[in-house]
Amino acid sequence: MNIELKLQALVDGELDACGLREVEALLARDEFASSLVQELKWTKSAIRHSEAGASLPESREFFWSKIERGIAAEARNQASPAAPIAPAWWAKLLFPASGLAAMVAVMFVLSGTRPSADDALNENVSEDINAYSFHSEAEKMSVVYVSDENADFSPVGQEVKHETETEK
Amino acid sequence: MAKPLDHKTATDVELVAASQAGDMVAFEELVARHRDKIYARAFSMMRNEEEAIDLAQEAWVKAWQRLKQFQGDSSFATWMTRIVINLCLDQLRRQKRTRAESIEQLDEELGGVERQMPVVASNPTEGLERAELRKRIDKAMVQLSYEHRTVLILHEFEEMEYKQIAKVMNCSIGTVMSRLFYARRRLASLLQSLKKEQQS
Repeated sequence: MNIELKLQALVDGELDACGLREVEALLARDEFASSLVQELKWTKSAIRHSEAGASLPESREFFWSKIERGIAAEARNQASPAAPIAPAWWAKLLFPASGLAAMVAVMFVLSGTRPSADDALNENVSEDINAYSFHSEAEKMSVVYVSDENADFSPVGQEVKHETETEK
Repeated sequence: MAKPLDHKTATDVELVAASQAGDMVAFEELVARHRDKIYARAFSMMRNEEEAIDLAQEAWVKAWQRLKQFQGDSSFATWMTRIVINLCLDQLRRQKRTRAESIEQLDEELGGVERQMPVVASNPTEGLERAELRKRIDKAMVQLSYEHRTVLILHEFEEMEYKQIAKVMNCSIGTVMSRLFYARRRLASLLQSLKKEQQS
């Protein structure tokens, strides 16, 4: 803190004991510091005695009627829901569940039309339902990927065909 | 059976308790008692009658909504004054963001200007009538930026300590001290000029 601010803190009674000793020593030898303290005291005193008591230029009834209307308006705002209602937990599951249903339907259709070749098959089931299926005869498996709202694809179900003892 | 409250003669504490229980007539009485003081504080900060009326009204609506939070740690008038001061500061900050800073204001923010001002050697308000003193202080206060005017109001009129002002104005104690020092020195200089004008 610079010395001018310490002089001001003295005038405002906000100086600690250590600062007080320092400032008093300065005032005893520095004429400028003394005259600055005097100026700060004059100004402080002038402001303290100058607050004008302004009156509200509106009648009691008119001003109160505006406040009443303001209170009523705020109460209405608080009563009506401001934020949209968050979807219920079951609604969040609706999208992947419909994808899963589509996957089951696709797997049912594909089971009768699998190619004879042993190559893995990757195909977009339908553009509308955002699902991809993967089928591999070699691996004896089918996987269906269904995208969520963010277009992140994740496997939602897989079918692995295990060879039975008689097939072996 | 409890005696019904006589709103005209009830104390502020009684009126606040009744208002907290939903008695709007009690709240209306509180408004009637303190509306001038709240308006005066808004006007001293905004220097604009229309804005001061709007902000005083907004302060009373806010007070009704937050009345349950009032614990009685300070007087009701002090609590109300803090609400209107905060609303005025928000409004002044919004206004400041939308207007260009003058070179003088930037200079004030950087500091140092106040040290170049000569010390006023004689009391610039000595012998003035109270009405004339108010008029001159008022004229000088208008010429200060809102930050400097506000620290003066909070320190001299509201009698807040440096740390309380820092909290209300959301700045450091050092900034409060610098602004207060500048504001006082500038005010002394302006009052000295007004005195000279009057004498010549």
